[in-house]
Amino acid sequence: MGDYFSFDRFLVRIGQITPYVLVNFKMVFWAMLIGTICAIAVAILRLKKIPVIEQILIVFISYMRGTPLLVQMCVAYYGIPIVFGNLIYNAFGINLNRLDAIVFVIIAFILNEAAFLGEIFRGAILSVPTVQTEAGLSIGMTRLQILFRIVLPQAINVAIPQYGVDLIGVFHNTALAFTLGVLDMMSRARTLGVSTGHTLEGFVVVAIIYIIISLILKALFYLLEKKFQYGRR
Amino acid sequence: MIELKNVKKKFGNNEVLHDVSLSVNDGEVVVLLGPSGSGKTTFLRCINFLERADAGILKFDEEEIDLKRAKKKQILDIRRNSAFVFQNYGLFNNKTALQNIMEGLVVVQKRSKEEARKIALDSLEWVGLKDKADYYPSQLSGGQQQRVGIARAVALNPKFILFDEPTSALDPELVGETLSVIKKVAKKGITMIIVTHEMSFAQEVADRVIFMDGGVVVEEGAPDEVFYKPKEERTKKFLARILQKDMYYI
Amino acid sequence: MGFNFSYFVTSFKQALLYVPVTIKIMLVTFVVSFIIGTIIGAVRFYKIPFFSKFFSIFVTIYLGLPVTVALVLYNLIFLTCYNDFANFFHINKQISDINPIFVAYIALIAGYSCNLSETVRGNLRSIDKTQFEAGYSIGLTKLQTFRNIIFPQMIPNMIPGLLNNLIGILKGTNLVSTIGITEVMVAALYPCQETYSYLEGYLAAAALYWIIGIVIENIGHFVIKFSSKNNKEVWNYD
Repeated sequence: MGDYFSFDRFLVRIGQITPYVLVNFKMVFWAMLIGTICAIAVAILRLKKIPVIEQILIVFISYMRGTPLLVQMCVAYYGIPIVFGNLIYNAFGINLNRLDAIVFVIIAFILNEAAFLGEIFRGAILSVPTVQTEAGLSIGMTRLQILFRIVLPQAINVAIPQYGVDLIGVFHNTALAFTLGVLDMMSRARTLGVSTGHTLEGFVVVAIIYIIISLILKALFYLLEKKFQYGRR
Repeated sequence: MIELKNVKKKFGNNEVLHDVSLSVNDGEVVVLLGPSGSGKTTFLRCINFLERADAGILKFDEEEIDLKRAKKKQILDIRRNSAFVFQNYGLFNNKTALQNIMEGLVVVQKRSKEEARKIALDSLEWVGLKDKADYYPSQLSGGQQQRVGIARAVALNPKFILFDEPTSALDPELVGETLSVIKKVAKKGITMIIVTHEMSFAQEVADRVIFMDGGVVVEEGAPDEVFYKPKEERTKKFLARILQKDMYYI
Repeated sequence: MGFNFSYFVTSFKQALLYVPVTIKIMLVTFVVSFIIGTIIGAVRFYKIPFFSKFFSIFVTIYLGLPVTVALVLYNLIFLTCYNDFANFFHINKQISDINPIFVAYIALIAGYSCNLSETVRGNLRSIDKTQFEAGYSIGLTKLQTFRNIIFPQMIPNMIPGLLNNLIGILKGTNLVSTIGITEVMVAALYPCQETYSYLEGYLAAAALYWIIGIVIENIGHFVIKFSSKNNKEVWNYD
């Protein structure tokens, strides 16, 4: 059997690859931050059932749910410069073709999250029983008071576990970014492999980092979930 | 005095309320009886605008309100003068028993937190649940939840309280504790309209009994009259059926 | 550079030829993962000694590994180890003769089995306890109760979850492109290598995936409607 895996090389790779997890974090951070804001807008707009806008959102969500993220990333990467290139260049003097690939990957993530989180938020709000709203009305609260004091706190309780699963999913999906040339963990592991001729250790390190961070995130959301249980077990 | 005139309500093609009128004097306890689907609950919900009636007039405090065309301010005014006790309790799941009662006092009546807390604790004590003040609804039994629901209604000091089958979601052994609290409310002299299937309770607590069927008032009168000397055939049939099944008929 | 519709049509036609490949990968992955997922889910639900603990740790850890990383990793192991492996077992096949699809299957099935086991377990937990007890009370064994009573009851409740998993797997088949297997997306890009205009290729792939997804979803909703027909009558009563 050949020399596939060396523990020494593995230890070296840990130091070489770990810093690049920050690039993956960067993608997750922007995707979740802006994605969540967009998703709240999507959820509220869908609950309001405004004609035309509702149909547009239904098609948008169906596209985001029905097509692979890798394809969405590539469409954003090749499509955005073609559609908005001249506009952005004339308005801000930015040449989209020169922009780092990570920008397009993040845009793809944001659009994807707007759809997925939007549906999660909408479902969570709908899951609060109508009697909760009626009880608020019956004691003379206004609709806005009921939304912020009764319905949303209960909806958060439903949404948190799903939000956690979604966030871990986004973190996992950042593993696709290297195909567009984003310099993250995967891409670093590959480069190191090409330059040294030993690729396996690098990808094992990537796999372990993904697993450990996923477990930590899962634990964090579990604790968060417990905080919002309102006495339920 | 609350007066309701010619209330009508349809769900799609199903006419649930076909011209119902009712007036309730101050301090009077009125019990609405009738088979399921007779429109009692819908009628009650229309009074509190939880359901928008298709037609009808609500006269309260010398003000006449068109049930169909009521403005936001009028609706809020009625709701702030009344309270509603729900069949499935309707406690806010994200708030403790105490917070449930404080919510309306603080947010709607704009009382200070200390004052609201004091009133809330008093009314919890009044229904015998002071020790459960910091429990969430999910940690309370059905009977306890409903007693908190009643405490919440009473704490707001409303002119009248509407009870929508307050015991029909409860296990039989928890019905008694809830009914005795409702009797306590009745003794306070608050105007009450109660939808219930508890016959002996109705007989004991009601000043007047209304029998509804098919979206109309079939018969009304003092409890003894309606229960023992019903005039209408439909009332007789209903009573015969319900008394056969004892008091736990739903 | 702009959008060229005839390029799009060319890519779309090319990709259409590979729809059967994508659907085959999807169905094989789904069926095998569902079987394995059901076994893992049941083992964990019934708390079978050792295996229950083992799978609970394995699934928790393995769900932390992105399918993409697993694919690349397993492919790498395959590429670097194959020659020694072949020599050891005296296999006379060149590595280039072996279809790397089996690597893709291992990665996809391992990942989605874990996902599906969670779906199955969640549904098992939602089944009323008396259903189990009723089975035992008439003398059925645990396995008989599961097979004849519990599992058939789970299926209707599980359809929405299975549908989500199936759509997930459909999108997951796209990941095998990262280890050089030709599926819908890769095929859609073939014409682009001559035109150097990739957007049309990716849009064609997106359109195809979207269509397949919509078809699956509609079939799913039809099945849900059909299976809940009996339940609805109960709700309409009163």
